[in-house]
Amino acid sequence: MEKGLVTLIGMSIAYLASLLGMGFAYWAWRRRRKHDGEGEGTS
Amino acid sequence: MSNFTTLDWLWAGAFLFLMLGGAFFFYRLARRSESDFFLAGRGLPWWLPASSVFSTHTATDTPMWMTGVIYAHGLRGLWYTFFAAWTAIASFVSARIFRRSLAYTQAEWQVIRFDGLGSELLRGWIAGWQVFMNMFILGWVGMAMGKVGNLAFDWPLWVGLVVPTVLTAIYTMAAGYWGVVMGDFLQGIVAIFAIVLVSLVGVYAVGPHGAVAERLIDMGEQWRLDPFAFTGWFTGDFPVAWWLTMLVIAVVGGFGMGTSIDWYVEAQRIQSAKSVRDASYGLWAGGAITLVRNGFWAAGILAFFVLLPGISSAAEYELGWFRLGFGLLPAGLVGVFFGAILAIHLSTISSHLNLGALYVTRDLFQRYLKPDADERTLVWVGRAATLVLLIGSFFYGLMMEEITQWLIFALWLMMAGIWLPNILQVVWWRFNAWGYLSAWMANLGVAWLVVWVLPAFGVIPPLPDYVQFWVLMGLGALVFVPATLLTPAERMDHLVRYYVMTRPLGWWGPVHREAVRRGVISERRTAANNGRRPIIQRRWTAEAAEEWTREDWIAIVLSPVVFALFMIGVTKLILGQPAGLMLTLLGIALAVLIYWIIDPKLRAVSHEYEAKQAGYLDELEQKLKWEATPGGGGV
Repeated sequence: MEKGLVTLIGMSIAYLASLLGMGFAYWAWRRRRKHDGEGEGTS
Repeated sequence: MSNFTTLDWLWAGAFLFLMLGGAFFFYRLARRSESDFFLAGRGLPWWLPASSVFSTHTATDTPMWMTGVIYAHGLRGLWYTFFAAWTAIASFVSARIFRRSLAYTQAEWQVIRFDGLGSELLRGWIAGWQVFMNMFILGWVGMAMGKVGNLAFDWPLWVGLVVPTVLTAIYTMAAGYWGVVMGDFLQGIVAIFAIVLVSLVGVYAVGPHGAVAERLIDMGEQWRLDPFAFTGWFTGDFPVAWWLTMLVIAVVGGFGMGTSIDWYVEAQRIQSAKSVRDASYGLWAGGAITLVRNGFWAAGILAFFVLLPGISSAAEYELGWFRLGFGLLPAGLVGVFFGAILAIHLSTISSHLNLGALYVTRDLFQRYLKPDADERTLVWVGRAATLVLLIGSFFYGLMMEEITQWLIFALWLMMAGIWLPNILQVVWWRFNAWGYLSAWMANLGVAWLVVWVLPAFGVIPPLPDYVQFWVLMGLGALVFVPATLLTPAERMDHLVRYYVMTRPLGWWGPVHREAVRRGVISERRTAANNGRRPIIQRRWTAEAAEEWTREDWIAIVLSPVVFALFMIGVTKLILGQPAGLMLTLLGIALAVLIYWIIDPKLRAVSHEYEAKQAGYLDELEQKLKWEATPGGGGV
């Protein structure tokens, strides 16, 4: 496989995995904020 | 392989049984708790993390990569392998800080160092990245084993990729980190034995003591014996500028966290040590053995060059060390050699399976899905995550055709754009979660643009590697510096708590003064303020030992020098060059001096900290479960 294409695929998967992790964290943070009510929680 | 006899199969089988059986022995310990499954209960003496650092650093692809750079560059290629020297300074700086944070992972550390939504996003980002990265590493190491199996036995590539990895996964799922670290100890002994043996056999296959050097001189290739054979300041394939850049990346990177892809693996070893002192020595010794290993390898690979010069295909010569072992060892010892290759492979695979599972379990499942999960559930999630990583790694392995290409891809991505932020997050109080997160996000895109896309379209010329590094660092700074300064600093309550817990090195003045004002620590009153202080202080109170003093700086400065002396000295010693013995002895003397200077201080720090650890752990568990941590001045 051509080097540029391999790199592009690898980069895309890396991006996707990190964004998924971050999205997951954001979803959990929002859920917790709702659960705790406005004004509580981590700043 | 033609010379693989029944005796060789018996040896290989015995090694496999010993390594797998030894790891299974710890099954009962691993199932007790999450802490046991992923950190061996935080109770290991320094030599176990040390052997694990060495074993994990030594993978099936490592001799391929080593052979690639030494065959192409001679002994100056040793500097490509010197990136392991990040452990030299990290042992006395970032390892000490990270161990005191008690975080299981680098991702968890983000919510201890930073605060609020930014820290949560960072934790999720790094956890996602690490799940990917561990699968990726498993894939490339697995594929390297596929190549070795093909070379030795004409197995199809997938056999070497799948079979040993599945065997490793079985004991890793059963015995967790206990199995990993105990297996690493046994595997490390077998591996170092084989590395020394094959290198010596290769060197003496050329001729008696010193023959490799003599033959290289006869061939007009004496420059290969010189680790400082530069091709100019900025020109050629090994300019001074490139060497200095590599030194900066490796050595100065030790001040930061995450400045090497190995950092994430060693973070687990640091945290599994029973004290701050054990964590420091474990990382230092593991790094030192790794560089000594490089010395043995380099000598053996130079011998391979003398025996078979002129191989132009990288894919062919990067198997040189394996060809030495399989080609030169007599029947009986070939089985030992193959057992050692399995050991090298198993140790790395097990470490990354367990580490990837740790990020899934601790940073994704427990933090975001089920904070109140019981210990039994967490252990089972860890096992299920191990299985998922295993399957994912096969996918990556089959994608990789060229080991070196992927390795360079990973190293550049990890190092260039976030190298400086990795240091800043440790040494600068004002650096915040938004700055660090922006650096991570920008790094991936900027690296891709500068390294491949813009040159491919002729917008910029292809840049030398060392120029790429500084350009990527500069472009990254254009993003993370404004992002940091345009967003608020972390809450002072949070910073004070972090500061008192870890006592970081660097620019922490405002946080230190606030901690003093709140009465949680006392004002600095040691070191330079004390006129009667000896040049080297060897009696420490716990409070005085918390400060960073000249003893720390002596260890920080000397430690990379010792590593370089070990690496070059051992290589020259094996090659029979007179300077080898002198350099090695000088390295040993300096290592003893470092120990004499720093050990009393590390003992004082460890003793005081371990007494507080239980309380800190309780606080950390509360934080992990999203409960409100106490605000105000208390810690």
